[in-house]
Amino acid sequence: MSSVKSSPSLQGASGLAGALLGPITHTLHEVGGLVLFLKLILKTALTTRGNTPAILEQVLSICSRSLATVVFAGTFVGAIIVLQFNAVLLVYDAQIFLGGLNTSAIVREIGPLMITFILAGKIGAFTAAELGTMRVTEQIDAVECLGTNPVQYLVLPRFIGIVISSLILLALGIMISMLGSTFVATFLCGMNPLQYMSTITRFVGVWTLFCGAAKSLVYGLIVGGVACQKGYTARGGARGVGTAVTQAALYMSLFVILANYITSNSLNWIHDFLGAALGWVDG
Amino acid sequence: MSIRFESLSKSFGPKTVLKNVSFEVSTGEILFILGKSGMGKSVTLKHIVGVMKPDEGRVFVDGDDVTQLDDNGLADVRRKCGMVFQHPALLDSLNVYQNVSFGLRTPQYTRSLPRPLTEEEIRTKVTETLRLVNLGTDIFDRYPPEISYGMQKRVSLARTLAPGPTYLLFDEPTTGLDPITTNAVNDLIFELSRKLKVTSVVVSHDMQCALKIADRVLVLDQAGILALQTVPEIKRSREPLIRDFLAETLALLPPEERAELEAHS
Repeated sequence: MSSVKSSPSLQGASGLAGALLGPITHTLHEVGGLVLFLKLILKTALTTRGNTPAILEQVLSICSRSLATVVFAGTFVGAIIVLQFNAVLLVYDAQIFLGGLNTSAIVREIGPLMITFILAGKIGAFTAAELGTMRVTEQIDAVECLGTNPVQYLVLPRFIGIVISSLILLALGIMISMLGSTFVATFLCGMNPLQYMSTITRFVGVWTLFCGAAKSLVYGLIVGGVACQKGYTARGGARGVGTAVTQAALYMSLFVILANYITSNSLNWIHDFLGAALGWVDG
Repeated sequence: MSIRFESLSKSFGPKTVLKNVSFEVSTGEILFILGKSGMGKSVTLKHIVGVMKPDEGRVFVDGDDVTQLDDNGLADVRRKCGMVFQHPALLDSLNVYQNVSFGLRTPQYTRSLPRPLTEEEIRTKVTETLRLVNLGTDIFDRYPPEISYGMQKRVSLARTLAPGPTYLLFDEPTTGLDPITTNAVNDLIFELSRKLKVTSVVVSHDMQCALKIADRVLVLDQAGILALQTVPEIKRSREPLIRDFLAETLALLPPEERAELEAHS
């Protein structure tokens, strides 16, 4: 028997390829798992009825639990963005655009991301831990054995609750941010509040609002999907629940950042297409 | 009317847990499945209710092949088979009353009735079922974390009994319980099986309990069946693993039974 030994350079190359390909294949595996889980939720949503009370209960619970954090974060994020924009705009003597730029940035980008990360940290991690504990203590098996579909009874209300809540909290977060930013613009940047608000409609139109809502919806699907999937498929006692929560937190963040790039590009492309094809131009 | 396993095989990755396992559970009997940890006892049980799918082989419940059933068919099998898990597995967000009545509100259960139960009928049924497991209505409004582990186990058993299953499946029902509660739960299994005339399959590693209440004992080892015998046959067995299990229980047995076992060893 003769053994074939690869050269050190070949081993190094294969090790490098493995190190590069490993995370990519792992991420693709995770994306695949999420897509299959979302398909299962969609199938359950389409084939079952009577989920509305449980969904409303979840929406109420999620919104009430996140309200204080959204108000706090919304106020200060709005204030911070105003201060940053103001410093730059003053250099170009363009402070008049502060309200428009600030609101556009909040509606398009910062608002959806802020709400998503609040939801991911507070509700997503909680959901993954709750479902994970239910899985490892056989509560999910018990529900199934009692003749109830666990996806319908436990997953669907939590998933849709997170998606709907992300839109409600986005609207709330934007309003709070606008209040916070107007306050800072008035008292720290020396602007007249009416002057500050006068440019908002020039920068923020129906399209901007649509972009914010679309992004928030996509992020909500990701947070809800990842949290429920990781919790529902947890294995192996307390350690398994810990792993599920850690993985949920990691993949919610990674997938949201990836989705942000994809949705931003897609929405810009759609906007350009509508502009070119229909002559439709909106902020 | 029985549960039948035909050439069942199940692997998890490289580990084969069950290989070509075949046996039948007769109507009205209490069958104990014994074996060391990781020998596929719980896996065997979970195949009966279709929570797990086999790699090969079939499982029949009242003639229906569980491995081939759709969701509705599986729901019907699960209505017939009440499963008590190793953990109490009570839903933490529901109180005791809501947990016990859970199975009485499912579409599968209500479909089997001429009309859905009224809230008053559900309350009566929950009260009766809790009485069967020696619990009162005073714990109706308490949540699982507010009652002791032993009580949680009883509530879990009541939840399983409420829809009136034909088969009772127990997955290590006495794990984590003190010796007194263990005896109480074992007595309860025996009484309920006889009183309600249900067929019971009990997964356990408690040989003492098996000798006390089982009609037959199935011993799993090395992914297969080592023995499927009545209690007297098990007591006379020369298999080293069975002798080891019996030796563990010797000190706990009454003197006459201990003498009988020692005579066979």
